[in-house]
Amino acid sequence: MAESTLDARQDARPTAGHVTLERVNTPPAQTWNYLRANDITLTVPVHSRKGDVFFALPRLFEGVECGMGPTVTAWAESQAKDAHYVEVKAGEKRKEPIAAQEDTGVMVRAGAEATIVICTQPDGPVQDTTAALVRVIAERGARVHLLEFVCGGSDQRLDSVGIVADEDARIDVRQFFLGAGTTAAGLAVALDGNRARLDLTCRYLGREQDILDINHVVRQRGRNTHCDVRESGVLDGHAKKSLRATIDLVHGSSGSEGAELENVLILSDDVTNKTMPVILCDEDDVAGNHGASIGSVGPEQIQYLRDRGLSMQEAEGLYVRALFDEALICAPTPQTRAAVLARATDVLGSEVANDLVDGLGLRDAEEV
Amino acid sequence: MSERTEKRTQVADVDRSLYDFTYSEEGYERYEDGLTPDIVRAISEKKDEPQWMLEMRLAALDTYHAKEMAPNWGPSIAGLDMDHISTYVSPRTKQAKSWEDVPDDIKNTFERLGIPEAERESLAGVGAQYDSEIVYHNMREEVAKDGVVYTTIEDALHDPQWEPVVHEYFGTLIPPADHKFAALHYAVWSGGSFVYVPAGVTVEYPLQSYFRLNAEGAGQFEHTLIIVEEGADLHFIEGCSAPKYYEANLHAGAVELFVKDGARLRYSTIENWSKNMYNLNTKRARVGADAKMEWVSGSFGSHVSYLYPTTILQGARSSCEFSGITFAGATQDLDTGCKVILNGPHTTASMDTKSISKDGGCNTFRSSVVIGRRAEGARATVSCQSLMLDDISRSDTIPAMDVRNATASVGHEATIGRISDDTVLYLMSRGCTEAEARTMVVGGFANPVSKELPLEYAVEMNNLIKLEMEGAIG
Amino acid sequence: MSNQLLRVSGLSAGTEDKPILHDVSLAVGAGETHVLMGPNGAGKSTLGHVIMGDPAYQVSSGTIEFDGKDVTEDAADKRSLAGIFLSYQAPVEVPGVPLYSYLRTITQKRPELKMTARKFRARVGEIADQLDMGSSFLTRELNVGFSGGEKKKIEMLQLLLLRPKLAILDETDSGLDVDALSVVSRGIETYRADCDGALLVITHNTRILERLKVDRTHVMVQGHLVAEGPASLIDSIDEHGFEQFEKASAVAGGERA
Repeated sequence: MAESTLDARQDARPTAGHVTLERVNTPPAQTWNYLRANDITLTVPVHSRKGDVFFALPRLFEGVECGMGPTVTAWAESQAKDAHYVEVKAGEKRKEPIAAQEDTGVMVRAGAEATIVICTQPDGPVQDTTAALVRVIAERGARVHLLEFVCGGSDQRLDSVGIVADEDARIDVRQFFLGAGTTAAGLAVALDGNRARLDLTCRYLGREQDILDINHVVRQRGRNTHCDVRESGVLDGHAKKSLRATIDLVHGSSGSEGAELENVLILSDDVTNKTMPVILCDEDDVAGNHGASIGSVGPEQIQYLRDRGLSMQEAEGLYVRALFDEALICAPTPQTRAAVLARATDVLGSEVANDLVDGLGLRDAEEV
Repeated sequence: MSERTEKRTQVADVDRSLYDFTYSEEGYERYEDGLTPDIVRAISEKKDEPQWMLEMRLAALDTYHAKEMAPNWGPSIAGLDMDHISTYVSPRTKQAKSWEDVPDDIKNTFERLGIPEAERESLAGVGAQYDSEIVYHNMREEVAKDGVVYTTIEDALHDPQWEPVVHEYFGTLIPPADHKFAALHYAVWSGGSFVYVPAGVTVEYPLQSYFRLNAEGAGQFEHTLIIVEEGADLHFIEGCSAPKYYEANLHAGAVELFVKDGARLRYSTIENWSKNMYNLNTKRARVGADAKMEWVSGSFGSHVSYLYPTTILQGARSSCEFSGITFAGATQDLDTGCKVILNGPHTTASMDTKSISKDGGCNTFRSSVVIGRRAEGARATVSCQSLMLDDISRSDTIPAMDVRNATASVGHEATIGRISDDTVLYLMSRGCTEAEARTMVVGGFANPVSKELPLEYAVEMNNLIKLEMEGAIG
Repeated sequence: MSNQLLRVSGLSAGTEDKPILHDVSLAVGAGETHVLMGPNGAGKSTLGHVIMGDPAYQVSSGTIEFDGKDVTEDAADKRSLAGIFLSYQAPVEVPGVPLYSYLRTITQKRPELKMTARKFRARVGEIADQLDMGSSFLTRELNVGFSGGEKKKIEMLQLLLLRPKLAILDETDSGLDVDALSVVSRGIETYRADCDGALLVITHNTRILERLKVDRTHVMVQGHLVAEGPASLIDSIDEHGFEQFEKASAVAGGERA
């Protein structure tokens, strides 16, 4: 049932005009402005909401930092229909994924477990702009799985997510930014409680004229918190990508560890890839690491793949296919799988897309 | 370690006043505080400059007033009030070619800093700047015979052979509009060095310029212009220090380095400005085909630093190596790093930086690697390690990479952490005190940079580390 | 013998600045098992890589014929599709590519192996069982974070999946514990039994050969093939080492100079 309202899409309400959101996706620490890597400016539609009465989230959620920053939060709140509040009771292991909408707040009570899904709808007419604003509070010992699939459906997509984690909460986030057009996504995770933990995997694909702007912020405030951020993606055509990933080891976070790693594969000379991996450290008893590796497929890898019968182009194509394979494996619902598949069909052709599904043995399950 | 080194170390351990002494500036020529076209004209007139230089200064002054500091990054310079900084302070002395001719107080300063001794032993030439003017300049005869020129910009401007060369290069690599303090620099620059190494000449020993800012509430704005012609080879050393005052001092120098095809330039800096200094220095090198630029940089002093030596690898197969260490102690906010722009095909850059933060000091490592569309096969690696010595200090790492070529490769790694308890315990179990153990670990941490320096400077750097480490353990 | 599967004739090759192989000639018939032995650094692995078409090495003279065609100039992928397989001594890590995606892609390239994805999955599962591999490895990145033994098993999995006409096993046995060695040996036996493929086993250790019926043994020293003989040559090497051949190589080198 929840699947039917899966996408946080603007429906066909009259557009009162457009507004420009400046300094979106800014990281906590910035650098030379001439590099044009500090933020992105977006023009988004606004619908007049004058006179409407709509439900807002509990005030508690105002304190949750969201990755794209306050201007996007304010815009998304003003544009959303009723905010969508979900509470998962203490100790409850909720199986059915929670489909996030335009403005969603999820309270995962102590010891509970929940899966939250953000997914675009690539079927149907292409929208101008769609957005999701999702805030999550994970109480002590809660487990949160957040899955994000951006697979097209609008020229411009905004995903702003904020998560606060209390003691011993475990957050894992998997993001797949596979869509066409402009994707701007921000994720802020506050590991406030002792021993809170984040595992973040982000995979992206940029091709043709795609613009991808990602801002990841992890605040490690509790003691002995742990964060592991893995980013990787493939860029082709004239794609432009910026990734800002910040690990903020706040004073008092002693015993904490933060690691961030990005692998970027560049397949075309017309690509623009900007990477800003930042560590802020205000505590001595911590370990912060980051690494980045940017370039084409390594000569060793190419040779290994050619030895097994792949041409240069096929070897590169394998990396793109791999993104979709992984997205499909992670997609928890028929709706999300359909979204990934629709995008895979666009990118890889229907033959390969069908092969992906068959190979994973998913078709059987869905047909039954 | 040699006997001599040990002796020096011991001396340095007790002599905390090594850098921290002052002489009266009585009788000096000191221009009024603040920044007006009149002051700029006065500086230019005193130097009897060509018209183009005066025009450049006045235009730069306008740019300075028009430009803002970036509001969204970097340490605060709110403590810097330009209305209370004298941009020109000159001792009443002429430039000397012999230390005998240098006034006693100034000579004593440089004696205490070990400059004449170093000159006798291991340098090809020395320039010494005191406040706004060069007070001593000399170079070994055999080096001059090879056609190497080492003089001040002012003298080069008065030489019909070199004036056109200065005109051609000056301000082209760092344009006055680059940033607010580059503009300030061009408005009021004074002193510095002009070095020209003809094609194919290898200068066997390093040249050194030492900058000493003695006056309180003053600025130093020296300009260094080095041209290393095709296939030539030079090592240039820059040292800086100043005594401690409570009023803010400002250093806004500019260093423009032109490394032609097949040439090599090593530029080493040990900077130990006092902790009331705002160090807003700009350094940039343009590197030709098959040429090599090497930077070695140790930053210990100043209250606030903005320092990012920049290398533009323009020629094919040109390369750049950067080794830097920054030590931020109490009251220091040091924003340092490097920038490299790889434009030529098959260019390579490697950057290796270390930072140490203690006693509430703030370190920011800031870098950018830009790989242009035509930089086929370019390779860049950045490695950045930060050491936190206590929990009241801060260390941020803010690298940026912009890659626009599919055949290029960029690797980046950074780690932040503290000295492991295991290491300290291990060394203590072998008889070291905790303080010795920690000093030893910090020394080892800095070693990859200090080993790049000539012995004298490596010793100086190790002394600085020891001085900084004293009292680091409560 | 024109019915040889692989015929290397008068092959000299090396890197840009260093010649490694000198006038190497060797022939392997279809379905035969050959062993290439020699001390460390003799150039055995280089020969394997040159036969596979590794562009790190340049052929300065001689030819490589496979299945009746001269492949000396062919790129590695073409040789692979023709039926040559090289099992790496140190399989390369390929981050960003899950094993499943990889296996499916390399299999789909071969018309003779085309099958539906579902059948393919079953086939992979079957081979994985034979090699004592769990199923979770399929979603892991190719060779990334696997142990040495696991990597060799993944090489065997590909060998059994691709069914090449010739498999060159480059020190496949090195660094394996007893269990892994036994699994890998089983993989090789299965390949011999199921695919009737030819084998060129590069090794300096005779243990892996105990369970194989060897047709010919070649000895390489300093880039020269200095001896060739029946399987019994292995026993002689076991007993006397390579010294006897090293002298021969010195003579060969001396003649050249």
